Amino acid sequence: MSLQTDLIGLLGTDRVLASGLDRYLYGKDAGVYRGEVTVVALPETTEEVAEIVRIAARHGVPVVPRGAGTGLAGGAVPLGGGVVVATTRMNQIFEIDAANRCAWVGPGVINLDLSRAAEPYGLHFAPDPSSQSACTIGGNVANNSGGPHCLAEGSTVNHVLGLEVVLADGDVLVVGGKAPDPIGLDLRGILVGSEGTLGIVTKALVRLTPNPPDVRTLLITFDSVEDAAATVSGVIAAGLVPAALEMMDQRMTQAVENWLGAGLPTDAAAILLAEVTGDTPAVEAEADVIRAVATEHRAREIRLARDEAERALLWKGRKSAFGAVAQAAPDYYLHDTVVPRTKLVETMREVYEIGERYGLTMMNVFHAGDGNLHPLMMFDASEPGALERVHAAADELVELCVRNGGVLSGEHGIGKEKRDLMHLMFTPVDLDAQARIKEAFDPEGRFNPEKVLPAGSRCFDFGRPIPEGAWI
Amino acid sequence: MSVADAFRSFTRASAELAAVVPPAETVLAPSGVDELAAVMQAASDVRARVLVWGGGTHQGIGHRVAPDIVVSTSAFDRVVAWEPDDLTLVVEAGAKVDTVEAMLADRGQTAALPEWGGPATVGGIVAAAISGYRRLRYGPTRDRLLEVTIVTGDGRVVRGGGRVVKNVTGYDLPRLVAGSFGSLGVVVSVCFKLWPLSGGSATVAVDDPVRAAETLFRPVALLETPDGAYAYLAGTEAEVRSEAERVGGAVTEGFVWPDPPSGETVWSLRVPPALVPDGIGRLPAGWSFVAEHGVGHIRCAGRFDPEAVAELRGWAEEMGGAFVLEDADDDRIYETVDPWGTPPTGLTLQRRLMAAFDPAHVLVPGRLPGGR
Repeated sequence: MSLQTDLIGLLGTDRVLASGLDRYLYGKDAGVYRGEVTVVALPETTEEVAEIVRIAARHGVPVVPRGAGTGLAGGAVPLGGGVVVATTRMNQIFEIDAANRCAWVGPGVINLDLSRAAEPYGLHFAPDPSSQSACTIGGNVANNSGGPHCLAEGSTVNHVLGLEVVLADGDVLVVGGKAPDPIGLDLRGILVGSEGTLGIVTKALVRLTPNPPDVRTLLITFDSVEDAAATVSGVIAAGLVPAALEMMDQRMTQAVENWLGAGLPTDAAAILLAEVTGDTPAVEAEADVIRAVATEHRAREIRLARDEAERALLWKGRKSAFGAVAQAAPDYYLHDTVVPRTKLVETMREVYEIGERYGLTMMNVFHAGDGNLHPLMMFDASEPGALERVHAAADELVELCVRNGGVLSGEHGIGKEKRDLMHLMFTPVDLDAQARIKEAFDPEGRFNPEKVLPAGSRCFDFGRPIPEGAWI
Repeated sequence: MSVADAFRSFTRASAELAAVVPPAETVLAPSGVDELAAVMQAASDVRARVLVWGGGTHQGIGHRVAPDIVVSTSAFDRVVAWEPDDLTLVVEAGAKVDTVEAMLADRGQTAALPEWGGPATVGGIVAAAISGYRRLRYGPTRDRLLEVTIVTGDGRVVRGGGRVVKNVTGYDLPRLVAGSFGSLGVVVSVCFKLWPLSGGSATVAVDDPVRAAETLFRPVALLETPDGAYAYLAGTEAEVRSEAERVGGAVTEGFVWPDPPSGETVWSLRVPPALVPDGIGRLPAGWSFVAEHGVGHIRCAGRFDPEAVAELRGWAEEMGGAFVLEDADDDRIYETVDPWGTPPTGLTLQRRLMAAFDPAHVLVPGRLPGGR
């Protein structure tokens, strides 16, 4: 029987997609890469996922898990054909346990839907990627997603208490739970951020965070990007970890303002969006610290959001920035790298230099508080050679960040995009160790092949004989 | 080649250290990463059983290991990089928790490591995934671990993670190493995410810690001992004052931490956070304890009573938790009770992961759940 027939036998014709259009649509995520899909499966239960994995194994084809496809690094783009397992229909919230501040959810639950469901209990799911109205918890787990409020709250990995996962042999494993510190090796941490290369998450137990009693949101205007970046470093150095500390440069502010009309200062070189949360005396004191540091760094204007409506508008501007840029050029390439916060000023200067050198308009909107840069390069993909130029500039950006003590990705993942840049951060021995982790989970390389680790990672060898009776 | 011969050329540990570790053929204190790597290669070659030793404060956790050699990290005690303005610290594994925290406190920062440090080392705390009392606010130790460098069972030097606060670049090796008890490798150095210490802090007596957990926004800790319950608050002075008034009770400035409980046996009871009051009620009479409300952890100690222990463990495991032996006056207790309890599911996968880092299975053999 064919792969497709087997899958239809399991899921019925409705939940197996193999038309030309479907295979085209699922061949891509929100980034620039396109892959090749054999067939798309839409499971609704853990058992179905397990059976899909077994069917794929029988047919010797890869399995590529996929959430909402909002990723940008090509993590959900199948590179060698195979079954795309889209978990979007596994969107059930099984339990909200307010007493223990956690929830068991399906991987297809949309990030914002979870926070909305938790709202009556005064709780929310802290990771808040800009794509939160579309992206799924499963995708968040796969990419260890972040968002503006990860500065104080941490990324997805800090909010995953347990996982149910289908392994390469079709077995279902549950790791972690509501009690702290599960015994044995902590497999939760290695599964979060593994980009679908180790298993398929079929349920997640996530931590829910209490909504803050009070909040202050400040919009701070600067005449230079350097002053804004120095304010970010200065706030952290002053011993304050705000709930969020976001930066937008002038080009980005103009694009957002053009679209949203939120009253953003379009003549400012950079703006900072700073938010502090907590009890009223705390947020007032912390807002004062931010004001003082910003003033010291020549802030031109410091505006406090008067009410929830104004606060919501400012955040809408920030979170929809990537939509607003469509007016600037037909295509954009959004990057994601991290530098130590103390290196922000010099790194930003070089980011613009790289843009100029490659003749690319560079727009910036990013999580400045944790040094997580998101340079956007605007281009027109129909122009010959444009995408190649973008890729070359992107690689240079990564090299710059690593040179400044940073890492390849802060929240988007490695996927295909940065796979071949892993050597910038890791030695062959480091990469070999990572490849051995992959092998321990997925000996046949069934899950999301050719992602995260560059080809040839598993080749480091001391050239020594393996001791007799060794575990291999 | 005999075990003694294989390790003849390596740096011995001090006689003081050799006197406190379990009996072993050789007690080594490699002077650097290269020597440590050579030690581990030799260990894999001759299949010598290795016990890794930091400060020895959490060696009571897990099945007993009868080692051929003990490897101390005492020579690895330097601060590699401290960037106060980045709130990150890279420190070698053998550095003492107390020394590190005192250094950080001078600049108003903390790694939120356990408050009862004593001789505990950073590497030991990471390897045992021990979190301090401030976990309710700052998260468990594994949440603050950004980068780790280990020497594997076969002598490879492997680094994972990175020195920035946000990172998804390859598999999260630091989190796998946290709580691995030396089974994947000897921790050589780690990078922690730091937190600024607040200007104001107070310890406030509370009548009802469960209510306090609901009322307070992000307390540093909510601890209960047989002597009473306390909320630990931090923030600006105005904030601490207003929060303290809200929960009532006598206020002491600063943090007054309870001593960890001690007794014939010391245990870690782990249950869903809301079950902490229930857990306290189930402790055998006369046991001392420090319960962490909001976290789901009760460290408790007292006379060893196999029946009471079995009952408590049965309940904890039924609730999805665990009841783990952390220390015992007499090693024979480990023969009468499994220190971990029921092993987790997925042991085969756990063993494959260990084999990936320690193919000859020489690192702390048998220490982890399931006797691996």
